[in-house]
Amino acid sequence: MKKEKSNIKKMRIEPYMFLIPSFLVFGVFLFFPFFKTIYLSLYKTNKMGQAKLFVGLDNYTTLFKSASFYNSLLVTLIFVAIVVIGSMALGLVTAMLCNKTFPGIRFFSTAFALPMAIASSSAAMIFKIMLHPSVGIINKLLGTSINWVHDPKYALVCVALLTAWLNSGINFLYFSAGLSNIDETIYERASVDGANGVQQFFRLTLPGLAPIMFYTLVVNIIQAFQSFGQVKILTEGGPGESTNLIVYSIYRDAFFNYRFGSAAAQSVILFIIIMVLTLVMFRIERKGVKY
Amino acid sequence: MKKRSIALLLSMTLMVSALTGCGASTSATTETPATETPAASETETAATDTTVTDTASTEKVDMSGTTITFWHAMGGVNGEALDYLINKFNTDNKFGITVDAQYQGDYDETINKLKSAQLGNMGADLVQIYDIGTRFMIDSGWIVPMQELIDADGYDVSQIEPNIAAYYTVSNELYSMPFNSSTPIMYYNKDMFDKAGVTEIPASLPEIAAVADDLTSKGGAGEAISLGIYGWFFEQFGCKQGLSYVDNGNGREDVATAVEFDSNGAALNTLTEWKNLADAGVAPNVGRGGDSGLADFSAGKSAMTLGSTASLKQILEEVNGKFEVGTAYFPSVSEGDKGGVSIGGGSLWALNNEDDVKKAATWEFVKFLVSAESQAYWNAQTGYFPVTTAAHDESVFKENIAKYPQFETAINQLHDSAPEYAGALLSVFPEARQIVETEIENMINGQTTPEEAVAKMAGDINASIEDYNLLNS
Repeated sequence: MKKEKSNIKKMRIEPYMFLIPSFLVFGVFLFFPFFKTIYLSLYKTNKMGQAKLFVGLDNYTTLFKSASFYNSLLVTLIFVAIVVIGSMALGLVTAMLCNKTFPGIRFFSTAFALPMAIASSSAAMIFKIMLHPSVGIINKLLGTSINWVHDPKYALVCVALLTAWLNSGINFLYFSAGLSNIDETIYERASVDGANGVQQFFRLTLPGLAPIMFYTLVVNIIQAFQSFGQVKILTEGGPGESTNLIVYSIYRDAFFNYRFGSAAAQSVILFIIIMVLTLVMFRIERKGVKY
Repeated sequence: MKKRSIALLLSMTLMVSALTGCGASTSATTETPATETPAASETETAATDTTVTDTASTEKVDMSGTTITFWHAMGGVNGEALDYLINKFNTDNKFGITVDAQYQGDYDETINKLKSAQLGNMGADLVQIYDIGTRFMIDSGWIVPMQELIDADGYDVSQIEPNIAAYYTVSNELYSMPFNSSTPIMYYNKDMFDKAGVTEIPASLPEIAAVADDLTSKGGAGEAISLGIYGWFFEQFGCKQGLSYVDNGNGREDVATAVEFDSNGAALNTLTEWKNLADAGVAPNVGRGGDSGLADFSAGKSAMTLGSTASLKQILEEVNGKFEVGTAYFPSVSEGDKGGVSIGGGSLWALNNEDDVKKAATWEFVKFLVSAESQAYWNAQTGYFPVTTAAHDESVFKENIAKYPQFETAINQLHDSAPEYAGALLSVFPEARQIVETEIENMINGQTTPEEAVAKMAGDINASIEDYNLLNS
């Protein structure tokens, strides 16, 4: 009896062998940098980014005392809210529009999915020209002379809307897939029962989309937190610090000021924020979403 | 339930990548250094010991077949002009040296790449670094001071423009060879000035404010001056007042320990005038960076702009004869100021790779780049100063100045300045400039007063200097 048990244990080593390659990749590219970041966050680094002076949690306490860091957090939260709501709404509306067949649908669905294929930096370059105060097309069309990306009132909204549009492409794809999974016949039955379009949308479409909606929400939030290229090109965190998103501030500290300790500490805080948010969402999901 | 756990797994992976996006690169730069630091200091001492013997034999070293790597930060028109010079050197030099030129992106990227590359000791032999990287490079321990190569070869340094050389000279040693130097000047729209009946070109910020009304009401300007929020301009306004940016003789006698622009009033004078211009609508916010004011000027919207001399050619091309472009000295902060302008741009740094042949080859290439002929060509193509005075006698230079008389202003302005206004040296200058720009932006947008802005700048920069000196001494 005992012998048999140990045999079974031996047998079970094999499957783990198959996992080794993937764990090696994860180890080198995810876990090692992950722990290295935590390690760096406890140090101050010299001009070449080498850990030089152990400071314990000093980097963290400095951050929590810095007005600029709280500003970064606030700006990031506003940004994420605009981006997530905007990109999901845009994705949902476009997916609904393309759910029915009509001539030219291929053109429209390509157009709506296209932002997915555009690099954020190139989109930002184009927007930079479009938003230029004296030669940009947006001011020409609106007949205004607003300095879009250099006015603290508009800069964050501009960057956020651009990001929302960029992220809407993939959401369009998810929602389209989700919509085609909903059984057409329930709509027929509902209309026989006298349900109008609005009722159908809230009672049938949205609940039908709930699982995919949840996944999209989680991914969108994480993605929005990590937006970088747009800020780098469009505003460089300015004017003042009104678009200094936390990821951009990490970049600045690490690769411009060569202060890796503080940058690593900010990364760790960002990681914790996103983790807590995701766990909370999964908690809510357990109650709200039915598969 | 299964779907849920897959979704959880997926999003966890995404989250971890949030952290590693930064971590991956940090580890790349921090992995190798352990071996580098002692090596760097060794080579430094080795260099001082051996230079007397090895570089003295520059003439005798056989350099044929040597390839040296040159990192530069010149893109666009400037990059093409530089490529022309490099090709010319590669085909014409009698030593058999080949220069492998590599464009590394803008100045910031070049110095940042150098920091990473030097950790692995696989960088370039010669690198172009911007003015504000000077202190960093001197302290880095990676370089061979240009003065060593100059002394070994018996090169006559007086050929170099004294006011340019002054910037790169620390304790009587020329650390790097100036190559592309510029100063800021004021560009103005002559047609608008004529129409407005303004005959006296403003020489200070209050004078600009005084003529602003005429320029907008009679001259047809949308705004009097498009003044980009640029740290370099802030520094120049300090030089024009003849006041220091940092302590220890503007960072030239010893490593700077704190800023001085707050206690000597330089920053407050500048910001008060700047804010007045902004509040009166004379200088609306056109954004951040040195080029941000140029578009409005070229489009005929603003009557004046501040910019580098190196932008002259670009401006003339963009204006394309729509109006006549005039140039004037960079304005002072108030009328009685007696200072001068400092230079900006880049210089060439020889890196210590413990290879005497390459060092000799690098010096030959540097000599070629600053020769009168090369500099005259370089000046005509780009608008940077000829750093060698002898270039003024070249026919290329004379033709160019006849074609663009506006450039004369820049040369006169440089000659009217003096070495004591050479500007500050500061290890954390790139960061300091960012801080200055952020605070000016906040002030112009009405979030802070000039006094608060100065205090914030000084506090932030001092904290950064203190950290740097602590960690890198």
